[in-house]
Amino acid sequence: MKVEGTREFAAPRETVWEVLNSPERMAKLMPGVESFDVMDDQHWRANVKIPLGLGGMRMSFDFTKIEEREPEFAKLHAKGNGVGAIVSMETAFHLDENGDGTKMRWEADVKIAGPVGSMGQRVLQPIINQQVQGVLTALDKQVQEAAAA
Amino acid sequence: MSETVTVTGPLVVEPTETKPGFAGTSVPRKEDKRLLQGEGVFFDDVKRHGMGYVHFVRSPYAHAKIVAIDVSKALELNGVYGTLTGDEVAILTDPFFELSVKPGADIKDYALAVGRVRHVGEPVAAVVASSRELARDAAELVEVEYEPLPVLTTAEDALANETILHEDAGSNVVWQGVFDWGDFEGAVAEADHVVKIERLHFDRFSSTPLECAGVLVEFNRGTGQWTMYGNHQMPGIGAIWMAPALRTGIDKLRFVSQDIGGAFGNKICLHPQFVACCLLARKLNRPVQWTEWRTDQHTANAHGNERTFLDIEVPVTNDGTMLGLKVRALDDCGAFPRYEPLGCIIWAQVTPGCYRWRNIRVDFTQVCTNKSPVSPNRGYSRMQHLWLTERVIDIVAHELELDPVEVRKRNYVRADEMPYETPNGCVYDSGDYARGLDIALELVGYDTLDEKRREAESRGKLLGFGIGSTLDSGTNNFGQSTLLNPELQFSGNNEVATVKLDIFGEIVVTLGTVPQGQGHETTASQVVADILGVTPDDVTVRAGHDSYWNSHAGFSGTYASQFAVTGLGAVKGATDKLAHEIKRVAAGVFGATPDDIELVEGQARLKANAEAAIPFMGIGAIVNANNAILPEDVRDVTLNCRYVYVPPFQLPDKERNFGNLTLTYASQVHVCLVEIDPETGVYEIVDYAAVDDCGTRIHPQIVEGQVHGATAQALGAATHEIFAYDEEGNLLTPNFYDYHVPHALDMPPLKNAYLESPSPFTPLGAKGMGEGGGAGIHAVCAALQDALWSQGKSTVWRSCNPYNQVWEHLRNPRRLVEVTTP
Repeated sequence: MKVEGTREFAAPRETVWEVLNSPERMAKLMPGVESFDVMDDQHWRANVKIPLGLGGMRMSFDFTKIEEREPEFAKLHAKGNGVGAIVSMETAFHLDENGDGTKMRWEADVKIAGPVGSMGQRVLQPIINQQVQGVLTALDKQVQEAAAA
Repeated sequence: MSETVTVTGPLVVEPTETKPGFAGTSVPRKEDKRLLQGEGVFFDDVKRHGMGYVHFVRSPYAHAKIVAIDVSKALELNGVYGTLTGDEVAILTDPFFELSVKPGADIKDYALAVGRVRHVGEPVAAVVASSRELARDAAELVEVEYEPLPVLTTAEDALANETILHEDAGSNVVWQGVFDWGDFEGAVAEADHVVKIERLHFDRFSSTPLECAGVLVEFNRGTGQWTMYGNHQMPGIGAIWMAPALRTGIDKLRFVSQDIGGAFGNKICLHPQFVACCLLARKLNRPVQWTEWRTDQHTANAHGNERTFLDIEVPVTNDGTMLGLKVRALDDCGAFPRYEPLGCIIWAQVTPGCYRWRNIRVDFTQVCTNKSPVSPNRGYSRMQHLWLTERVIDIVAHELELDPVEVRKRNYVRADEMPYETPNGCVYDSGDYARGLDIALELVGYDTLDEKRREAESRGKLLGFGIGSTLDSGTNNFGQSTLLNPELQFSGNNEVATVKLDIFGEIVVTLGTVPQGQGHETTASQVVADILGVTPDDVTVRAGHDSYWNSHAGFSGTYASQFAVTGLGAVKGATDKLAHEIKRVAAGVFGATPDDIELVEGQARLKANAEAAIPFMGIGAIVNANNAILPEDVRDVTLNCRYVYVPPFQLPDKERNFGNLTLTYASQVHVCLVEIDPETGVYEIVDYAAVDDCGTRIHPQIVEGQVHGATAQALGAATHEIFAYDEEGNLLTPNFYDYHVPHALDMPPLKNAYLESPSPFTPLGAKGMGEGGGAGIHAVCAALQDALWSQGKSTVWRSCNPYNQVWEHLRNPRRLVEVTTP
């Protein structure tokens, strides 16, 4: 399942880059994060509760940064495991200067296996969209905080 | 041929007066009392002390390498008895026997995935615990590390061989061959037009038995024997697969079943799960039971074959006479062939459908993909091909602006041509397809079709009319397998029954077959009662099948529309032998000859003197307990008679792909009227008629039940039932919410009628008849095409057309047909 979009921030590109590449700030971006561990510069691990079904579904995600060209491009791979689902996600963002602000293009390729995957796009697309909107709203907030600091 | 045209109402079981001539009447079914009172015994009702419950860990990936499996956390759980992994299976068993020639012959198929998974839901490991729930929980603790591989979800992608599923085979092709009968080029030269159809697609669906698959396995360490209380519907072939894999003999495998809650072919390929359970029972030294979950039944039990027809060409004359058919068929058998590639030849039992086409060329290829494996499914392989022939008839009729009724009648094999030899040597035994069509048309008021169209139009609806006329070929000649693989040593067919008279006059029948709801006990008792001059109530047909105690043949089981022929043929043969023995005993006592004796009302009596009679109890007592009084020449009598019915088959001609592949051909003509809402694509079946001709009907009500069931199967397959996959190989319809099987409220009112064209080739004039659902799929497709024709001449090219698909036809009409004039 491929999702993509653009977002504009009223902050310099370096600030956005810094937020997107800070594991601590990343942890705050993700909705439903219950714990977040930084293994090293390239590897992070998160335990996440995804709002699916009664009580939500707990998954453990391993993130690996697989490519970066500061301050314009980065690519991450995430692999998640939980009861009923295995998620593999590759996401990339491109940052372009946009006057005083920054324009971000992003794309993600999400593959879901297991019983949850069999729910299909009809069920999963709205959940993924909801998650993405959550991330982008949190990102906006983090960028504003960083710009103000 | 006798003709009974009746529009039947709701099914009502009414006791029929007991009198001679029970065959042909709807006596109350023997099985129903216990089933309706909840007293049936299904495999899951069988329990053993200390037994463990099996849960399979299944692959979440459609295609992946198995890097590692760690069962340690599951084993730590209190109540977990043990596990089994693919690595163990690879050591303890040999791969299952493959039916194909190379490359399919080189595929390695085990009870659990070994090194690689090839479809979502493939069993990777098994956990046994003290409860079913605990086993399921423990299975979640089994850690499997996968390395995903590229996924093949279409047969056309598989054919490219860019990703190979089975490296041992080196190709995704299981089997490929060209069947060429007659002179197709000559037919094209004679034709006024050639209608070319780019593509037709028969979608993937399956039957969904009420009872999922399963088995309770006990291993006897002292004898090395496994007893399986399960619902395998064809133990004969199950044993042939399992015994070599387990490195044992078939005498070590005992299959037992009493009641089975439907099978439909899905329960022919249970050998992988059964072998895994056998290994677990031996390893853990305790009985184990596996009961399939419904989602697993959908995801990974067995689907029906999915088939794409490409580059279809039909030479036809101006009056609608079809001279031939050419097609490239691409069959998707899923991840493992198992019963395949038999589907690559089974369709040839009905090569020209109901029609007199003489020039046919079929280029057939079967491939593996990352989907659930297939197995025979009610209408196996013929259903796909007959759907093709019927689509061809209607598409040609529409394109040339001919009446589909007239085109059918012009091309049908005629009643006066029966028995009719098809271009590939099959012999249609009897039938009158045109008469069946006339009756069906009458039932839906075809003569007022134009009026109905106008009336529907006035309500803003598009009315469509469609016909499906198909054949249910029954009683296999297993020799057809040699057309796929000349090395196979299979041919003919046989079935066994025993009938005995016990000491108190009890008449006891055992069958080689494995009933799953078809009423074998009832129909066998009818046949026995008529021969012995008793009532069906006097006959005990042992319920179910036990391969230790029931006589059986190599391919005993219940499948391929044949019980009325092979099963009852064996019952008749055994009962005829018993009747003769009873007459010999009575003749010995009376000092007469067997010809002087008649069997009436449970007695053997002299024809010339009804007072001189010995009740069966007396006959049974003499032979079993008082045989010193018998004359010497009847002391060989046992009153325990076994008969093997062998249909009159020959070996097919492998060079010409020619021969009689089945013994009987029941026919079905279904017609339907649909109304489509052009705004939404939602449609409703507003009238429906099914006319069935299965020769002599032993039990008309059971026949009617089969016709109703087959019609429901067809309407489900035509409207909603589809196993859809996403591009990652996830099954999107793994439950009854997404995979909608029609329930009572979805069914249109059914009008049924019956013809009886007795088969000249069978002991009772009967034909197998359980698999006639294909007609309904086509009737719906044809009706949709008819309704859509005025809206842009879109070609209905798929077998399953849910509402969104019809809406798509309305929005973007797509014509996949070209008509040329040679």
